[in-house]
Amino acid sequence: MGTSTVIQDKNTLKKKRKSETWKKLRKNKYLYLMIAPGLIYFLIYKYLPMYGLIISFQDYKPYQGIMGSEWVGFEHFQRLFTSPEFWMIFKNTLVLFALQLLIYFPVPIILSLMLNEVRHSLFKRGIQTIVYIPHFMSWVVIVSISYVMLTLDGGIINEILDSIGLSKINFLLNEDWFRPMYILQVIWREAGWGTIIFLAAITAVDPQLYEAARMDGAGRFRQMWHITLPAIRNVIIILLILKIGDVLELGFEHVYLLLNSSNRNVAEIFDTYVYVAGLQQGQFSYSTAVGFFKGGVGLVLVVFANWLAKKFNEEGIY
Amino acid sequence: MSNMKRFLALIIMILFAIVLTACGDSSEESGGGDNTSNNDTEENANSDEESDESDEAYSFTIMANLHTPEVPDEKVLNKIEEATNTDVEIQWVPDNNYEDRLNTAFATSSLPQAVFMKNQTTFLQFREAIEDEQFWELDDYLDEFENLKKLKENVQDNTRVNGKLYTLYQGRPLSRQGIIYRKDWADNLGLAAPTTTDEFMEMARAFTEDDPDGNGKDDTFGVTDRSDLVYGAFKTVASWFGTPNEWGEKDGQLLPEFMFDEYKQTMDFFKEMHENGYINQDFPVTSKTDQQEFFKNGSAGIYVGSMGDVISLYNDAVAINPEVEFDVHNQVKGPHGEFGIWAIPGFGNLVMFPKSSVETEDDLRKILAFFDKMMTPEVANTAYWGIEGEHYEVVDGFAKVLDSEVSEREVKPYQAIEIGEAETSGRYEGYFEYEPKAKSEELFKDNENYLIENPTVPLYSETFVQDGARLQQIITDATYNYIIGQLDEAGFEAAVENWQSQGGDKIIEEFNASE
Repeated sequence: MGTSTVIQDKNTLKKKRKSETWKKLRKNKYLYLMIAPGLIYFLIYKYLPMYGLIISFQDYKPYQGIMGSEWVGFEHFQRLFTSPEFWMIFKNTLVLFALQLLIYFPVPIILSLMLNEVRHSLFKRGIQTIVYIPHFMSWVVIVSISYVMLTLDGGIINEILDSIGLSKINFLLNEDWFRPMYILQVIWREAGWGTIIFLAAITAVDPQLYEAARMDGAGRFRQMWHITLPAIRNVIIILLILKIGDVLELGFEHVYLLLNSSNRNVAEIFDTYVYVAGLQQGQFSYSTAVGFFKGGVGLVLVVFANWLAKKFNEEGIY
Repeated sequence: MSNMKRFLALIIMILFAIVLTACGDSSEESGGGDNTSNNDTEENANSDEESDESDEAYSFTIMANLHTPEVPDEKVLNKIEEATNTDVEIQWVPDNNYEDRLNTAFATSSLPQAVFMKNQTTFLQFREAIEDEQFWELDDYLDEFENLKKLKENVQDNTRVNGKLYTLYQGRPLSRQGIIYRKDWADNLGLAAPTTTDEFMEMARAFTEDDPDGNGKDDTFGVTDRSDLVYGAFKTVASWFGTPNEWGEKDGQLLPEFMFDEYKQTMDFFKEMHENGYINQDFPVTSKTDQQEFFKNGSAGIYVGSMGDVISLYNDAVAINPEVEFDVHNQVKGPHGEFGIWAIPGFGNLVMFPKSSVETEDDLRKILAFFDKMMTPEVANTAYWGIEGEHYEVVDGFAKVLDSEVSEREVKPYQAIEIGEAETSGRYEGYFEYEPKAKSEELFKDNENYLIENPTVPLYSETFVQDGARLQQIITDATYNYIIGQLDEAGFEAAVENWQSQGGDKIIEEFNASE
């Protein structure tokens, strides 16, 4: 008897909850309607295509289709994990990611703090415009400009080194120079553009705080440290999490353009590997498996970063 | 609070801008799509008009390689369509990323009716699909067409899969490789065309160190090369040393070229040139454009590659320096005292017909009829030389291009859909006023007496099809690194062992078994 009442209670509770959900839905129907296009976009363009990931467990043949191809289970993953290139690619990807995080990420913050201190408005805007420009150049242009400057065959930097009596440096064909070159190009292209959100956040800081700080005798540097930075802290954290979410988006185009026979040991990353194996050599299933694995690593890192942010009492992204 | 709102508003605006730009992109794409659909409607309109007549132009699509920077104007195509009573749409794909477009189209079952394969390697990638009968087998049909029947049997045999023919080939001279060099520089220094690899090295040295342009500055070097071990200088020089073409026989066994001593000699030869600065130092990352630029602007004096390029090189070089003089040369003997030159398997490209888009035999016959007409002298001349009187004129039974720049833009792209060669289609051979170009045509013929063929062309290895390209990367990387001195001999040996253990041994086994 007792148990049945409990069950009954549970049922009514469930019903109640259900009707409450409906009430809420009906009450806010316009709000839900507003997010519908976004939801549909994500469903169609981001979630639906994931169905194609099935082919990473198959020996996919285009003419047999996804339904008709032979199921091979984890064969492609096994091949990936036992391949001698796997650790090299994995390491290269993480190293470039670490460089992005440690070296590139702080640059726009520092740059926007500096821009914020520029008092002359026309001068400030001029600088801002100039630092945005590289963002609109394609990687092909940036890599080509670097190539022209760095080549041993008449590149200006090597000519200068030569003329002041130093020996020429083989920037392009030496694997030690790949990473510095990569990160400098990233900074060159993206640092200016990256300041936009930080500058926007800085304008939102209450000017009274600065006034008060000045009254207490705080100098420029103190104001920056104790007011500006703490004020934009949550923006920094959110962008950091988003950045980590992009962990493995190291810029396929960029790395692919820099890649050559002599720096492959440090420059081959998942994206370039997937492109060559999948699109150039037609190994669809294998390259899908590689891409799948990369996505998995990205997911783990985002969850981890979010957890970390919450640990430090910050707002996460979810 | 209001500040927070302002901040949010800004973020939203930025996002909005991003969405807008994204939309811009997609509308561009759909713009492209609209274009084609416009064409479709036009085509439909055309066919509606013509439907009264019984002979309706058959319409289909060809996917072909684009070797020029721009998609050509349709003047020549219209002429071809008129002559063949077809309505052809050509999907031009830049040659640089032909592989990915081909594979993407294949993966999404959107290959058009006639698909060019680009080369032997891409053709091999489709082997499995061919065996699975995804493409039309042509043996039974070719006899119905009087011109297609003329295609050379021995070249066709090189493209057979399990003894069956699936392709029409586009003929190319078996070997166009040789040297283009600065005749004026050689004359200044009293050098003749190199006949041995030692003389070649001497020329490279003299062009680097002896101030061949006589301007008193150390501003020249010998050989200009690019990041291509096959169509760049490496493979041709390797032939001089007697290296086999991809595969060769040693002790009764087929082995890949890089297991031969001659391959190593070639690497040492390049290493010496690189160390001494006789070759552009960054050649492993040099593009074809930059490589040719060094030659055109008088930085380098030797270009190893297709000798036919001499005319386009000359046209640009003479604009920079009117005094410039080029010459071509083919025969260079290696240390073993013989000259040899690697050959392609007789075709430059292959066209196949996927069953997914060519649905009936009737359709196949109509498309084959188009290619059959492409092999008549009249249509072949239009596709290869353009419109008589406008792009070329006939001199003593040879075609002479009137304005090479116009032809380059309006005609040359259509050479990519040629089938057969002058010998089988009866189109004109070229008439060249520029003497080195005429000489290069003769040297192609001379090369045919010294060919080094790839013995594995008619053979089959499953592992090679699957992993060949990936494995080749190991060797390509090692070869470059050896030449620029970042890898020693032991390191190269290790790379070869790596190649063997990752599947190379299996390839060797399979090729030898399929002999």
